Amino acid sequence: MLTIDHLVKRRGAHEILSGISFQARPGRVTGFLGPNGAGKSSTLRILLGLDRATSGSALINGKPFAQLANPLMTVGAAFDGSGAHGMRTGRAHLRWIARAAGLPRSRVEEVLDMVGLTYAAGKRVGSYSLGMGRRLALAAALLGDPPILVLDEPVNGLDPEGIRWIRTFLRERAEFGNTVLLSSHLMGELAETVDDVVIIKRGKIVADGALEEIIGTHSTLEDAFFALTAERAGDTG
Amino acid sequence: MKAFKAELSKLFSLPYIWLALLLGAFAPALFAALDNFAEKKDIIAGISTRLSEVGYIGLAFGVQGVIIVGVLAVSSEYVRESNENGGGQQLTTSLSVVPSRLSFMLAKGGAVTIISILLCVVAIFTTLTVTRLILGEYAPTFDWSKLLGVACYWVLTALLASGLTFITKSGVIPLTVLMINSSVVSLSVVLSKVTKLAYYLPDRAGIDMFMSMSDSVHTPLAGGFVMAAWAAVFFMIAAIVFHRRDVAA
Repeated sequence: MLTIDHLVKRRGAHEILSGISFQARPGRVTGFLGPNGAGKSSTLRILLGLDRATSGSALINGKPFAQLANPLMTVGAAFDGSGAHGMRTGRAHLRWIARAAGLPRSRVEEVLDMVGLTYAAGKRVGSYSLGMGRRLALAAALLGDPPILVLDEPVNGLDPEGIRWIRTFLRERAEFGNTVLLSSHLMGELAETVDDVVIIKRGKIVADGALEEIIGTHSTLEDAFFALTAERAGDTG
Repeated sequence: MKAFKAELSKLFSLPYIWLALLLGAFAPALFAALDNFAEKKDIIAGISTRLSEVGYIGLAFGVQGVIIVGVLAVSSEYVRESNENGGGQQLTTSLSVVPSRLSFMLAKGGAVTIISILLCVVAIFTTLTVTRLILGEYAPTFDWSKLLGVACYWVLTALLASGLTFITKSGVIPLTVLMINSSVVSLSVVLSKVTKLAYYLPDRAGIDMFMSMSDSVHTPLAGGFVMAAWAAVFFMIAAIVFHRRDVAA
């Protein structure tokens, strides 16, 4: 269970998050949607202890990330790009992570196979395409087989086949009782994947509920998104 | 311990590190060889005033290898992927695996220390071998306490480099400043002509651990203490800055 409670983040005079609250529950894929710059990545970064909140809390199973005993076995996260140094091979990147978490080397080969990257594991990450880098980041997140996944824009850079694969993969994770929180600015790509939807705009939550509730009388999630953000943020266009 | 092993694994899987290790292992011997050839005549004639520096001067100048190790260990975390590739950086992954920033820094410092010690042992071996080959029976005997001083100098230099890079988030400034300072123009040597305070700069004080120069002001122990204090202060500032700073900042 992921619990974001009255989270505020200011950088200088700029308020990035204005007291947002929502939850991501086990057995559900929660889509955290919003336009670029709305505060999605900041929220996920605070949840993973990478950035500091000005006030409020972001907890994983009731604890801040820094207090988790086995972080990699509790929550797997993927942020921008591959999250790896370009001069290292994909396999070497996963191996140091496995070593840090006390996992066997064989697990590295398993996750490489899961994300379909075994063929490029011996190549330097710097030679990877964006899609390959994203697969490597996902492989790193899956190393500890964590019950919680936090993925920032996971479909960015993936080809249609990759997008389809990740949709199926995330649905399966949720069906086995895992918690999945993913952010995206691509509404269309997510409608078929998510159970719950949280919509953020300019640092404020403008909608939070089950997919059907959010879509409501609108024909698509995308239509609902534009309608909701226009109403709540006072936009007219 | 797992974080420490992961840091070693990270360092040894970076191709540049092998270049740094090669430099660290053989550059001191090369510096020493050049110095030995220049001084050989005077040493044989018994009129050399620099017998106490023979060999050690190579180990003082040849510290670049561990400077690169210390800088790379930290700067590699901050290298950003191109925007086309998502603009990510390794630090995000590192802190997702080792959430305690202090543990992360200590693991990195530990890995840099161990590599610096091992590299120094190899450099001492190559430098002493070269000195004995060139000077033969005229080669001075090397004192264990001074060689220990060399190892301390190398480790503290590497830790200073790491601490500085944590503060700057990029390897460019620390690498440029420390490499030039240790090989081309030593700021502390230049400043020592102006003020006595320059003897308390880390490199100048640290050298007193193994070289008795004509203008030395510290005992080996005091020199080591001054340099260790610098490294500790830099690492503390780095720890505070690193602890407070957002990764996204």
